[in-house]
Amino acid sequence: MGSIRWIWGYIRNYKRRFFLGLFMALVVAGLNMVNPWLSGRIIDEVIYGKQENLLLPFLGVMIGITLIRTVVRYSYQLVFETVSQNSIFKIRENLYDRLQHLDFSFYDKTKTGDIMARMTGDMEAVRHFTAWTIYMIFENATILLLAVGFMFYIHPPLALCMLAVAPAIGFFAYRLANTVRPTFSAIREQFSRLNSVVQENISGNRVVKAFAREDYEMEKFSVQNEAFKQRSLDSARVWERFLPVLDSLAGTLTVVMIFAGGIMVINGSLTFGELVTFNSLIWALNNPMRMAGWLINDVQRFIASAEKIEDLLRVEPCIKNLPNSKKIDELKGVVEFNSVGFSYGDEKVLKNISFRAKPGETVGIIGPTGAGKSTLINLLSRFYDTDTGEVRVDGINVKQWEIQKLRSNMATVMQDIFLFSDTIEGNIAYGVPDATVEEVIDAAKKAEAHEFILEMPEQYDTIVGERGVGLSGGQRQRIALARALLKDPSILILDDTTSSVDMETELKIQKTLKSILMEKTCFIIAHRISSVKEADLILVMEDGKIIEQGTHSELLAKKGYYHHVYQNQFGNFENQHSQEGVS
Amino acid sequence: MARNKFDVDEELESPFNPQHFKRMLTYIAPYRNRIIITVILMLVASGANLIGPFLIKQAIDTEIPDGDVSGLTLLAGIYLAALIVTGICMKFRIRIMSEIGQSIIKAIRKDLFENLQKLSFSFYDSRPHGKILVRVVNYVNSLSDLLSNGIINLITDLFSIAVIVGFMLAIDVKLTLYAMAGFPVLAGIIFIIKNAQRRAWQKLSNKQSNLNAYIHESINGIKITQAFVREEENKQIFEEVSDSYRGSWMKAVRIQFLLWPSIENISVLTVSLVYIVGISSIANGGVTVGSLVAFIGYIWMFWAPLANIGNFYNAIINAMAYLERIFETIDEKPEVVSDPNAAELKPIKGKVTFDDVTFAYEEGSPILKNVSIDVKPGETVALVGATGSGKTTIVSLLSRFYNVTDGQIKIDGVDISTVTIPSLRKQMGIMLQDPFIFSGTIMDNIRYGRLDATDEEVIEAAKTVQAHDFISSLKDGYETEVNERGTRLSSGQRQLISFARALLADPKILVLDEATSSIDTETELAMQKGMEHLLEGRTSFIIAHRLSTIQNADKILFIDNGKIIEEGTHTELLARKGPYYKLYRSQSHSLAAG
Ligand SMILES: Nc1ncnc2c1ncn2[C@@H]1O[C@H](COP(=O)(O)OP(=O)(O)O)[C@@H](O)[C@H]1O
Ligand SMILES: Nc1ncnc2c1ncn2[C@@H]1O[C@H](COP(=O)(O)OP(=O)(O)O)[C@@H](O)[C@H]1O
Ligand SMILES: [Mg+2]
Ligand SMILES: [Mg+2]
Repeated sequence: MGSIRWIWGYIRNYKRRFFLGLFMALVVAGLNMVNPWLSGRIIDEVIYGKQENLLLPFLGVMIGITLIRTVVRYSYQLVFETVSQNSIFKIRENLYDRLQHLDFSFYDKTKTGDIMARMTGDMEAVRHFTAWTIYMIFENATILLLAVGFMFYIHPPLALCMLAVAPAIGFFAYRLANTVRPTFSAIREQFSRLNSVVQENISGNRVVKAFAREDYEMEKFSVQNEAFKQRSLDSARVWERFLPVLDSLAGTLTVVMIFAGGIMVINGSLTFGELVTFNSLIWALNNPMRMAGWLINDVQRFIASAEKIEDLLRVEPCIKNLPNSKKIDELKGVVEFNSVGFSYGDEKVLKNISFRAKPGETVGIIGPTGAGKSTLINLLSRFYDTDTGEVRVDGINVKQWEIQKLRSNMATVMQDIFLFSDTIEGNIAYGVPDATVEEVIDAAKKAEAHEFILEMPEQYDTIVGERGVGLSGGQRQRIALARALLKDPSILILDDTTSSVDMETELKIQKTLKSILMEKTCFIIAHRISSVKEADLILVMEDGKIIEQGTHSELLAKKGYYHHVYQNQFGNFENQHSQEGVS
Repeated sequence: MARNKFDVDEELESPFNPQHFKRMLTYIAPYRNRIIITVILMLVASGANLIGPFLIKQAIDTEIPDGDVSGLTLLAGIYLAALIVTGICMKFRIRIMSEIGQSIIKAIRKDLFENLQKLSFSFYDSRPHGKILVRVVNYVNSLSDLLSNGIINLITDLFSIAVIVGFMLAIDVKLTLYAMAGFPVLAGIIFIIKNAQRRAWQKLSNKQSNLNAYIHESINGIKITQAFVREEENKQIFEEVSDSYRGSWMKAVRIQFLLWPSIENISVLTVSLVYIVGISSIANGGVTVGSLVAFIGYIWMFWAPLANIGNFYNAIINAMAYLERIFETIDEKPEVVSDPNAAELKPIKGKVTFDDVTFAYEEGSPILKNVSIDVKPGETVALVGATGSGKTTIVSLLSRFYNVTDGQIKIDGVDISTVTIPSLRKQMGIMLQDPFIFSGTIMDNIRYGRLDATDEEVIEAAKTVQAHDFISSLKDGYETEVNERGTRLSSGQRQLISFARALLADPKILVLDEATSSIDTETELAMQKGMEHLLEGRTSFIIAHRLSTIQNADKILFIDNGKIIEEGTHTELLARKGPYYKLYRSQSHSLAAG
């Protein structure tokens, strides 16, 4: 029932059209009875009764009614389609909106394939329900009720006798509904899994090929493909048990009518005419009951999908704006970490991190992989919330900032570069959709990307493939850098941004950055000493802690971890130099 | 190669082709016998159904007026028996047809997926992945109803029509001809609707594909979206895409729904015609009253299956829009294929030769120009050069991810284009520049390199790349489940895992494309030590930017703009004072200037 109420929430917006549609369906249900009736009249009055002059009027009415009926039916089908498409549109929009605002921790644990399943297959089940099942139920229920009412009006005892079958039908219908629902849920689950396995295979296609694992992938897929078939068959097995029973039970109505009615006629409690009338109405009882099984099936299918969609709509992001969050447009860029602790689940990833950076300063972060460097800057943009301590920007706790304002003033080049399958221009302008071409080119120049872009076949209009396929690793990083620079943020965060960029290009980028970073706060995570050594503050992280901090020369003087790394990267050169004996 | 993006419809390369339908039948053919059985069941069922009206007529005409209760009971009993027969037939029909329908779906999906495995990088590179996904999953699903029930209904309906026409002919040939008068009109209408409907559904399937692609990419790129506060903008784009899907849906159903009213109206017109002709022919003694009444009864029955066939026809046209796409993908030829008479590549020693290799991703703009490399078995070769100079491209060619445009690549003197692809790739361990992690345990991810590796071997590989420590520190150790693309691992950790995967493959040729770019120097040094003995006897290609990573290579190739401009050992190259020397100086300078 919950799902019905939920979908009604959407259909309600088109209430007038919806009820108009139902009304038209009712009209058509009524008009449906006219042709058989007219046909009977023609036979009785025109053919047997020889009133040939009545033929043309009868036919005229018949043709007219059919025309009206088909037109009305066509219209209400479209009405229901419209209502359904509009509702689905709205649901899809809400879902998309929800997805846009769910936080990183949701995406860390949810598979793309699952979400795709919600947005496609489940949506289709809801569509089918709103466009078709609803009015079919309505139409059949109306016909059934009218027929039952009419039968009671004519002869209550016989009507009662016939309804004796109803409890049995009700019982099986109820059983069907309960038994089939879990099978539909199982199909939906399996559909998600199938989606996931295919989608992962597609995105991992390079690795699959590199290791010639096509057969293995085929096997993995076959398991899910087979399971999907099996789940569908499980469901079919339930129908197979119940639908024939319901169908036959609907048929027994006729048997009851002819048997009980016949006896009543014989013992005189029912007239012969009344029995004939009952007989002519029996289809109005039979058909809806036959349909009942299929409709129950449809409803259960709908509920299974709707519940999944509802679940997704109900997920609340943990990261959201506080009721009276700070909506300051311009951000200066003072960043403070005060004894920040953080963990993903149980595992402590950051422990007691404290430091401070002012606008115009550059903070370099260096340390072993897995030390928590990326995590630290994720907290700054509030992609996750701290467990203990606080992160302050311009003296205000990031939890108090309006997230959109906070993030609009920051630009991050994430460690995993993601480019959209869009033009290069579209990718660079991602954060500033209305940027002019000149601005885009300017940003590309700053990121040392302009030259290679010009060498591409369609230059800034070149479409890159999913995730930036078609570009080399370093080219991707530079496009991502241009994308961040175009935003002209107060805080710029570069997470391992030049790892695939050659030294020479990196040096050029550093030079440009220096000139544009005058009033900005900048975070640079890197493994090359050369990338961080100019920083005003260098944080050396290990195991979630800052183990050393200071400037390049301070840290060298400490002769700790930093010095060690420096030795490893630079020591080589020194050795070589002494060997070579040149300056 | 023009790349497709989410808001561009994909052009269908093959025109409408009745062969598709035939081809569909080849999927159905294996179930021929069971379908025949089902049709027989259906006929039995409809036979049993037909008894009903007859029994009622009998009761009303004879038993009830006669007050014959036992006769009435008998009739009721027969009716009940008929109902049970119908029920049983229905049960088997559901069982058999869902089995067949699902089996066919499964087979089509399998063929699709199988071909996807064969397709080369270029296929995946040229379109959003959401558009591939929609074909395998959603398009195939849309065929399910057509396949399970559509076909059976079609056959039984055709059968009913034949029977009814038979009866009609038996009663009166002339009236039957009149009754058929509606056909040409109907055919004309169908012909007109067909083209419009087909176009509408093609459009719809395109819009569906676009919508899917956009959703897919939105999910994958969500972190960037949130970091750049693009949510509102994206929502608007999404609404446009979603709206154009809705629009094309409405257009499609508006056409599709036309068929049924046409059939109804034509049927009523022909029935009227039959009345008029029939009644006037009663007047001049052509037909008897009784046979006209019977004829009229049949003619109403005649149009019901016809309307069903109309629906089936609708469904076929709609399905065509999907079938075309599905078959297109199944037929898509991989660009890189094993030569038909290719031999297996024998276990190799690891001698690699590039012989004047030229390569272009897109015709006309060569990325590699006349590259020649000679590597002896067991040598370590380092590739250095600016980003975009073609390093990754060189190693991709070695695994034959793309075909060379010109020249030859030989392993142990055998041209790699003459051997089967799996036998080539299975002897190489490649760590791609973008590490990809599958959802599953860390153990399984490393084992992907060699499926029959024992746990110990996996752990050994992890130890070599210095990943063991962090893996063991996780709560579930090697059994830790990672998600798609390895969320919950840091990027460096992901690199380590895919590094271990490549090592585990125990290849004769090892390719490491910026394997340590996100890894700190400490770990890297430890790793190098651990690998020293591992690299013995293997030919390895190492791409890196940190010169400390590559100094010990047997040969360093300096790549610039798709050409090898310098080649030699570290010391040789330094002595030459060329580009490598300059690069080296700038690195050391930038460090020393501190
Ligand atoms: N799949 C592709 N399609 C078209 N062009 C590509 C593709 N992959 C790379 N390129 C282009 O080829 C050139 C060399 O790229 P690559 O070999 O990846 O460079 P790198 O030396 O940095 O590894 C670059 O200009 C890049 O844009
Ligand atoms: N989304 C996540 N869920 C759970 N654990 C994570 C997640 N992201 C990172 N980790 C873990 O947190 C630690 C720090 O990761 P990260 O900050 O990415 O390291 P790095 O210093 O290399 O950038 C690692 O041990 C990693 O496994
Ligand atoms: Mg990181
Ligand atoms: Mg590369």
